[in-house]
Amino acid sequence: MSPRVFQKKCLNCVSLVDHKCLVEKTIKLSNYKPGQRGKIVQVCGDPDFRLRLMEMGFVRGTEIQVVKYAPLNDPMEFVIKGYHITLRKKQAAHILMNEPELAA
Amino acid sequence: MKQKITVALAGNPNAGKTTIFNALTGARQHVGNWPGVTVEKKEGTLKHKGREIHIVDLPGTYSLTAFSLEEIIARNFIVDSRPDLVINVVDASNLERNLYLSVQLLEMGCKLVIVLNMIDVARGRGIIIDETLFSNLIGVPVVTTNGKKGVGMDSLVDAIISQVEEPQSPEDFTRFTYGVEVEDELYKIQGLLYTNSFSSATVNTRWVSAKLLEGDTEIIKKIDSLDHRAKVMEQVDKSRSHLTNIFGDSPEIVLADARYGFISGAIKQTVQVERTDRVNLSESIDKVLTNRLLGPLILLAVLYSVYIFTFNGSAPLVKYFDSFFSWLGDSVSTILPEGLLKSLIVSGMIKGVGGVLGFTPLIAFMFFAIAILEDTGYMARIAFMLDRVLRGFGLHGASMLALMVAGGIAGGCAVPGIMATRTMKEPKERLVTILVAPLMNCGAKLPVYALLIGAFFPGNRAAIMFLLTLISWVMVLLAGRAIRSTVLSGPSAPFVLELPPYRVPTFQGLLIHTWERTWMYLKKAGTVILAVSIIIWVLMTFPGLSTEQKAFFEEKQDNLTSHFLNDPAVSSVLKNQQDLKSFEDSQSAEGKDTQQIATPLTLKYAQYKEDKLGLENEEQSKKLRGTVAGRVGAGLVWVFKPIGFDWKTNVALLGGFAAKEVVVSTLGTAYSMGAVEREQYPTLSEQLKHEPGWNPLMAFTLIMFVMLYAPCVVTLVVIKRETGKWRWMLFAMVYTTVLAYFVAFIVKTTGTLLGIGLT
Repeated sequence: MSPRVFQKKCLNCVSLVDHKCLVEKTIKLSNYKPGQRGKIVQVCGDPDFRLRLMEMGFVRGTEIQVVKYAPLNDPMEFVIKGYHITLRKKQAAHILMNEPELAA
Repeated sequence: MKQKITVALAGNPNAGKTTIFNALTGARQHVGNWPGVTVEKKEGTLKHKGREIHIVDLPGTYSLTAFSLEEIIARNFIVDSRPDLVINVVDASNLERNLYLSVQLLEMGCKLVIVLNMIDVARGRGIIIDETLFSNLIGVPVVTTNGKKGVGMDSLVDAIISQVEEPQSPEDFTRFTYGVEVEDELYKIQGLLYTNSFSSATVNTRWVSAKLLEGDTEIIKKIDSLDHRAKVMEQVDKSRSHLTNIFGDSPEIVLADARYGFISGAIKQTVQVERTDRVNLSESIDKVLTNRLLGPLILLAVLYSVYIFTFNGSAPLVKYFDSFFSWLGDSVSTILPEGLLKSLIVSGMIKGVGGVLGFTPLIAFMFFAIAILEDTGYMARIAFMLDRVLRGFGLHGASMLALMVAGGIAGGCAVPGIMATRTMKEPKERLVTILVAPLMNCGAKLPVYALLIGAFFPGNRAAIMFLLTLISWVMVLLAGRAIRSTVLSGPSAPFVLELPPYRVPTFQGLLIHTWERTWMYLKKAGTVILAVSIIIWVLMTFPGLSTEQKAFFEEKQDNLTSHFLNDPAVSSVLKNQQDLKSFEDSQSAEGKDTQQIATPLTLKYAQYKEDKLGLENEEQSKKLRGTVAGRVGAGLVWVFKPIGFDWKTNVALLGGFAAKEVVVSTLGTAYSMGAVEREQYPTLSEQLKHEPGWNPLMAFTLIMFVMLYAPCVVTLVVIKRETGKWRWMLFAMVYTTVLAYFVAFIVKTTGTLLGIGLT
């Protein structure tokens, strides 16, 4: 397996990303498991979506904890800034997170 | 001192804005729509020490960015109507996100009072806010309340009054700053706006500059009329690319970041969170209610109970309303003389309007059930659990409720179903839901099904009914998918849905919710329906029989009577018309219950009455054929030939346009029975069985057509009102009918080719 290269410029932000549009050392929020929590590194996606999420509190450095997935595995629910919110997995995939830790 | 104060109420959804509004205004409130749109506008007044405080409840929003209709409405109201003050209701237990809106209000330069609502919940979670410090830091009076218990309302009113009196100081606008780089650019844009004498009296130029920097299209439109617009925009573009270079991100993101930075700073200084060991009740409840296995089961049970509550719970009242209107019809009937006027008032107006008003209890019950789901917070969970299933068909998790009410279990009604979509925030998904809801099996289609199933599938009633329910679900989902990928294509709105904590709703809140929505329904549907009922009545009454035809039937009638009177058994008792009249009166006065002794006279009379009824029916049928509707029905025969409908069915379908159950009564009139048939086949269903051309296949074709074709007039009116566009109403009418024809054609052709149901 070749090492991943992070040198493509993201279309929506300044980040350098790999072929899967991932920033180095990040993991998509949609890959978090229930109970895991971590901090936002970058929010991607189209400008309107990014701004909407920013306004709902998805700012760099904010902590998110995944609560659960819906009965059919999509959408997913998490806690951010003390309130509960749900996003479809496809949207959550735009939120790049650091390595998760298990909530206490 | 101002005697009349206008105050706007702003806040996030779920921040308890409505509770504060209700606590302040009580019953003195009025609900309408914002001009030109279907978003509810609530206003109320409050009298305090000889002053009148007029409160306008702005739509609940997370921001004022002009993302959604709600945000544009809220923003434009503040900018254009310049309220004396804005009350910003903030959920104290969810301070950080709620303050994002507060910062934006500060930026707009409006006078502000911040209400820290649900302070009890916050304290319970160990969140302790230093109100005085907080107030000093942001430069806005802060009041703590518990809206549900009405705690803190007096201090809120006092704060409103004293803040309105207070002159606004220039430093109020600059308490919040974005940081040096952004401020520099803002200063440049602001300067250009000033030199262009932009009407700074009505709008805060600093805010306008910030919005221009963010590339806000609504605000860019607003400066269109400026002389030096190009110059301003040139500077804006320069500043935008400058900031993008520095921060490596677009200015709107940078500004949003700065707002949250300011909020974090303020919170760090003023809020302490003590760790509590208390279990979060709401989260524990959610563990059960959205559990992978239990969740969907509970959901089904809840949806089913909403349905039962709406339809069964309202049944006695609906009955009461119905009997009131039939009583009204009867009493008016006895007062008015026979003729057109009576027909117009009784059959046209009372029946038509009564048909709509008769729905009122049902609508009210449904809104009450919805209010419970919304106010407890369960509604968001419905969307959460069902989104995966419904989004594949262009719908949304929240569409479920509307579809259930519209007839997802046979027997609903599209009108409340469409009204239920008001809870949906996503415009495209909401529109699709509105457009497909009428395909469900509403209660008015059931009599038609019952008639046809009873006649042609008597052995399989339940199975056929279940099949029809399945078919309508399939149709709804497929139609949703088709509409969403053609007429309403495009990306769906991001599914960003807050799952608010579960709360116990207040009874007052539930009642107010129910009342205002029901009243809107009455106001809207009631007025149009009167006009439409009259039009339909005209179509089904005029021009009626020609003079020759009338003479023909009169002659036949006379013949019948004289034949009866000349009968030896009769002529001995009844000498002339006069005698017959008094005999008839005495017969009907005795009533049907009393056992009559069969004499030759009564036997002959029964025969005579039967013949007369047959003749009248024949006349009615001829008359219907002669009306505009009848002619249209006959004219449409060539269109409907491929699916086997004759003119009588066509007229019935036209009548069903008024309300689907009318199909049955019109079929009855059109296939009106002569005396001979009456004896043989006492009911319409019996008779249809023996009509040429009718067979199980034909019946099923008609059932499919009735299920799918154009929604009834009431539904169409509601579609127009809820979408705000004639175009969507027409679309709903046309696509359903085309679909109905198509499906009916397939059923008919396949059945005929395979030889199913022909006998």
